[in-house]
Amino acid sequence: MEEPRIGVYVCWCGTNIAKMVDVEAVTTEVGKLPNVVLAKNYKYMCSDPGQELIIKDIKGHNLNRVIVAACSPRIHELTFRNAVEKAGINPYLFEMANIREQDSWVHTDRTEATTKAIDLVIAAVRRVLYHEPLEKRSVSVDPATLVIGGGISGMMASLEIANAGKKVYLIEKTDHLGGHVVKFDLTFPHLSSAKQMMRPILQRVENHPNIEVFLQTEIHEVTGYVGNFKTTLRNKDNEGTELKFGNIIAAVGLKPFDPSKIEEYGYGKFPDVITSMEFEDMLGTGKILTKYGKEPRNIAIIHCVGSRNKKYHEYCSRTCCMAALKFVHQIRAALPSTNIFEIYADMRAYGKGHEEFYAMTTHKQIMFLMYDQQERLPVIRQANRSDDCNMIIEMDEKLSGLPIEVPVDMVILMVNMEAHENVKDVVHAIGVSLCGNQFFIEKHPKLDPVATTTAGVYIVGTCQGPKDIPDSVAQARAAAARILATIEGGTVPVEVTTSFVNEKLCCGCQTCISVCPYSAISFNEIKKVSEVNEVLCKGCGTCGSACPTGAIKCKHFTDLQILSEIEGIMSMSY
Amino acid sequence: MNFRPTIVAFLCNWCAYTGADLAGTSRLKYAPNIRIIRIMCSGRIDPTFVLKAFQQGADGVLICGCHPGDCHYQEGNYKCLRRFKLLQKYIAQMGIEKERLQLEWISASEGKQFSELVNNMTKTMLTLGPSKIKSSLEVEYIK
Ligand code: FES
Repeated sequence: MEEPRIGVYVCWCGTNIAKMVDVEAVTTEVGKLPNVVLAKNYKYMCSDPGQELIIKDIKGHNLNRVIVAACSPRIHELTFRNAVEKAGINPYLFEMANIREQDSWVHTDRTEATTKAIDLVIAAVRRVLYHEPLEKRSVSVDPATLVIGGGISGMMASLEIANAGKKVYLIEKTDHLGGHVVKFDLTFPHLSSAKQMMRPILQRVENHPNIEVFLQTEIHEVTGYVGNFKTTLRNKDNEGTELKFGNIIAAVGLKPFDPSKIEEYGYGKFPDVITSMEFEDMLGTGKILTKYGKEPRNIAIIHCVGSRNKKYHEYCSRTCCMAALKFVHQIRAALPSTNIFEIYADMRAYGKGHEEFYAMTTHKQIMFLMYDQQERLPVIRQANRSDDCNMIIEMDEKLSGLPIEVPVDMVILMVNMEAHENVKDVVHAIGVSLCGNQFFIEKHPKLDPVATTTAGVYIVGTCQGPKDIPDSVAQARAAAARILATIEGGTVPVEVTTSFVNEKLCCGCQTCISVCPYSAISFNEIKKVSEVNEVLCKGCGTCGSACPTGAIKCKHFTDLQILSEIEGIMSMSY
Repeated sequence: MNFRPTIVAFLCNWCAYTGADLAGTSRLKYAPNIRIIRIMCSGRIDPTFVLKAFQQGADGVLICGCHPGDCHYQEGNYKCLRRFKLLQKYIAQMGIEKERLQLEWISASEGKQFSELVNNMTKTMLTLGPSKIKSSLEVEYIK
């Protein structure tokens, strides 16, 4: 091996790191280490000039290893790997030290944080000494795509791919396509018909020669890897059907929150307290009637039901405010003299045309009443016989500061969108993660909101977080474009940090075979040693820690690399 | 000098390391004496890693993986759990209190839990005092 010549770069990240970590001290300290040819610090390493600096130094100083101490490798490892590669160094001869998310942002003592940063960089230096160049590998891509979920997002993604001439398997859990949108009457803010919009889409999906739809079907297990996935369907009509595909789109959507959990609203107790979805159904029938078959004279629409409240869901469901305003127009058109009360916590009109829609709605002779989500929810009770209404809502009206009573005959609860109970099954089948709100986690919250950390798996629509139709469609088509690009490319790069068996050290005990979750290791009966199928191996390293003779090497996470990292990581503690 | 316990933590990339990053993005504060090493899966934890950390003078070793059932590689965390149980017994035989080795599940969204975990473990180390191995190392350094 050629003598390691390491360049270390400490990032200030503006003030994000520099405020809590003495970057100058870190630079000086690590500059003293053997094999460190140069150590520098710079304002923003990830910026173009930051990357340029590395590239220039690699050439000018003949560096063959690079360390950047900056944010989490989950954010910029790839950026820097690409940069060093540009300068002719194998991307695996690079290492990052996380001195932002796991240091400057979480500590309050500058000396301690600086000491820790030095430790982390020293550990990285020790580790990178033993890094080995790894060769990129790629596999061919099966041109078919699996789309899970037949709502608007799933259908739009399917059409986009199918129109480009590629095969799509569209899996839907229920007995129909269209998801929630097909049940809506009108859409906001243009008040155009959802059903009219959906009809041609449904027809195109159902009749498209490149789309194969499987209704009442769920996905239980997906095997394989990017470019080459496989699943076997397990429902009665298509029992045992095996599908092969190169990419996956999850578009499983969300479901409406069950408001019976909120006692104050008496959902389930009062027949005329209904959810927004139930009201959509009612609008579909063309008549707005109470359970007694009468036209309601007073209708209240309560916002944020199950949303923005720590007891239920802390997040904002994003679409309910506008849907509530949409209902105003529909009620006003059908019942010109009915009193409408919008009982809201905050009005959120963030989208294109939404604020204008809100302003327009305020002219519809409705009453806006504000409640405090954190203080006291409105309470619905049965009206007395003598009252001229069906129910009464008691609430503390926030703007006037007065406790008031609102007479109502019908209450519409604008329910939150939440995850399906069985979302975990999907998540496990396709190998993605969920956030605390049970939404699928995207690869990068800003720069890659459609991909996931599992190569070849994309997330679109509301399963990634509540969103309206245009946002869902945009995400769906974006995912489709990403997939078409990989199909067009023909091959995709795959994990190179796989395991490898050193035949000379292998004693043939086959422990590795029993612990591998992917059946990626097999026993070569002739040589009497284990062999790793590098295409199946996903690089978890479980075999490496189980191997009694140290014959298995987990590339980029070798024993030697990790042990040297441990050696370095407490350098400043003594 | 005041005793500053050192904790070496091994975090799996998919849940625990992401959770620790989230603690950072949420600007939660925790004790600064923890040193995190990223591994792909808690199943990669080789007993020698843990022993090496103690040998180098760690007062505590923390392993964090995904919650049971959530491992990115299906079941690495179960394998880690089994090894952990054995390792705890083993270090006890070497005279290292078993509380010095901890295993916790941290999901990608549990930044808060992670910061609390670090603080609690630091407290435990403070009550236990320096690990014996560390003390003997220090003697050597003084010599
Ligand atoms: S990936 Fe987190 S424990 Fe396996």
